[in-house]
Amino acid sequence: MHLHDLTIKKFNQGLVNKEFTALEMVQQLYKFIEKEDKKINSYLSLDKEAAYLQAEAADLAIAKGKGVGPLTGVPLAIKDNILIADQPATAASKMLENYTATYDATVIRKLRNEGAVFLGKTNMDEFAMGSSTENSAFGNTKNPHDPKLVPGGSSGGSAAAVAAHLAVASLGSDTGGSIRQPADFCQVVALKPTYGAVSRYGLIAMASSLDQIGPITKNVEDAATLFQAISGHDEKDATSSEVIYGDELSNHKIEKLKKMVIGLPKEYFDKGVDKEIIKKVKKVVKDLESLGIKFKEISLPHTKYAISCYYIIMPAEVSANLARFDGIRYSPLEGVKAKNLADLYLKNRSKGFGKEVKRRIMLGTFVLSSGYYDAYYAKAQKVRSLIKQDFDQAFKDVDVILTPVSPTKPFKFKEKTKDPLSMYMTDVLTVPANLAGLPALSMPPGFQLIGQHWREADILNIGHYYEHVQNSG
Amino acid sequence: MAAPINKNTLKQLAELARLKLTTKESDEQLKDLKKILKYFEELQEVDTEGVEPMNGGTLLKNIFRDDSINLEQKAQSVDDTGRIIESFPETDKGCLKVPKIL
Repeated sequence: MHLHDLTIKKFNQGLVNKEFTALEMVQQLYKFIEKEDKKINSYLSLDKEAAYLQAEAADLAIAKGKGVGPLTGVPLAIKDNILIADQPATAASKMLENYTATYDATVIRKLRNEGAVFLGKTNMDEFAMGSSTENSAFGNTKNPHDPKLVPGGSSGGSAAAVAAHLAVASLGSDTGGSIRQPADFCQVVALKPTYGAVSRYGLIAMASSLDQIGPITKNVEDAATLFQAISGHDEKDATSSEVIYGDELSNHKIEKLKKMVIGLPKEYFDKGVDKEIIKKVKKVVKDLESLGIKFKEISLPHTKYAISCYYIIMPAEVSANLARFDGIRYSPLEGVKAKNLADLYLKNRSKGFGKEVKRRIMLGTFVLSSGYYDAYYAKAQKVRSLIKQDFDQAFKDVDVILTPVSPTKPFKFKEKTKDPLSMYMTDVLTVPANLAGLPALSMPPGFQLIGQHWREADILNIGHYYEHVQNSG
Repeated sequence: MAAPINKNTLKQLAELARLKLTTKESDEQLKDLKKILKYFEELQEVDTEGVEPMNGGTLLKNIFRDDSINLEQKAQSVDDTGRIIESFPETDKGCLKVPKIL
């Protein structure tokens, strides 16, 4: 089977029908990675030995007649801020350049139990801060569709690896759009789950009231499979929920779909969004309409404040979460000499963190400082309530909301690095779902389906239906 | 609301955040932060009278469990602790060794 044709489902069928072994496919993938990843730099590290052992274990289980699960032997790429025991986890920062993870993140433990194989760790913006992967301390990742363009970010490596067929699927993390926007730029599928659906134990925290881990895949069905496997309550993440997702995630009832009403928020089709993108999304609306799905124009009036709200709350949490990086506990920085502990902190943090990370720590420290707290942080928390209330109100009339993912097409390297605010603006259509804790599915040709809390099934089913009709039409 | 950040506040913030910025870094940061804070002023036009702040990403309530020992978890956590200590640059009797504080 050609690597370009591989999805999670086809991999599974191939294994069951004994067309190949897991080990053969993993070996073939590493050969392909060695040849192709020089061009796009999607991986930061590979652990072939561990992957071969995992693949052999999957093949052995199959030979012994044990059941083949949907993820048995499936080769995955993992964002470098998610811990895999005994592998590096740098979060693309010099601060963690020499760090080796001591335990598995809960999502990794779950996937390991399902027999999945981890090919390696993928590039990202440093500590997941950025929208182009240009903030990695270890070089840019290139967009596989055009190497002059960014792959998006912060999970740029995870999206590029899937788009370039260097993994069957991958995991990323999404704080303000960090899996949906790169998936959009690389033309693959991504699901940001409901806040609390997936455990973050073992994810290097960025902004804890917003972070979620989610899948990046070649199609919607694979996203549902991977999400099903990683979701679920975990006592090691106090925000994780008891909600159990059933087979509804991939069990589509077309009659039920046709009764749904999809909302189109006028603020997301504003003049700030690229005209070609709006045209493509409107074509999607038309296609879905012709299948009998109803649409309704709605308003989410506080959308225009989402960027300000997000870029106050997120850095505030960043400044607290990144206080733990002192250059001592996780791994030492080389060549730093200090006269006392305070001096060591200062030198390590100044040397270890990159420009954008420093900017966000400073911004977060500022909005939390006494005298400015009420004007910025407290105000932003109230506006966050209003943004969530907009969605609550809208979901009284509609089941799902459809919008573009990104206001711009993939841009060139260095195009937005000089002006941080222009880079922040690229998140304008993705941050509201994080602020409100809602699930959102991003898929080609550039649209996003936002669902109600715990209703991943709705957006996955509509997405799958759209994809199915496109492929068969 | 005038941009409330200047060279002095920037210096103080860097100290609080344990960051030492070079002159070039300071100048750049000051320019960027002023611009970003200026943009945030739009929030002042939103009427938030009587609106409850949203503190976290979830409406889950805090629950308390009995303070009892889970033996399975304890075994795992002793194992993890051992590996974390092994990864310290310098240790003394299972503690992390750092330079003198004063």
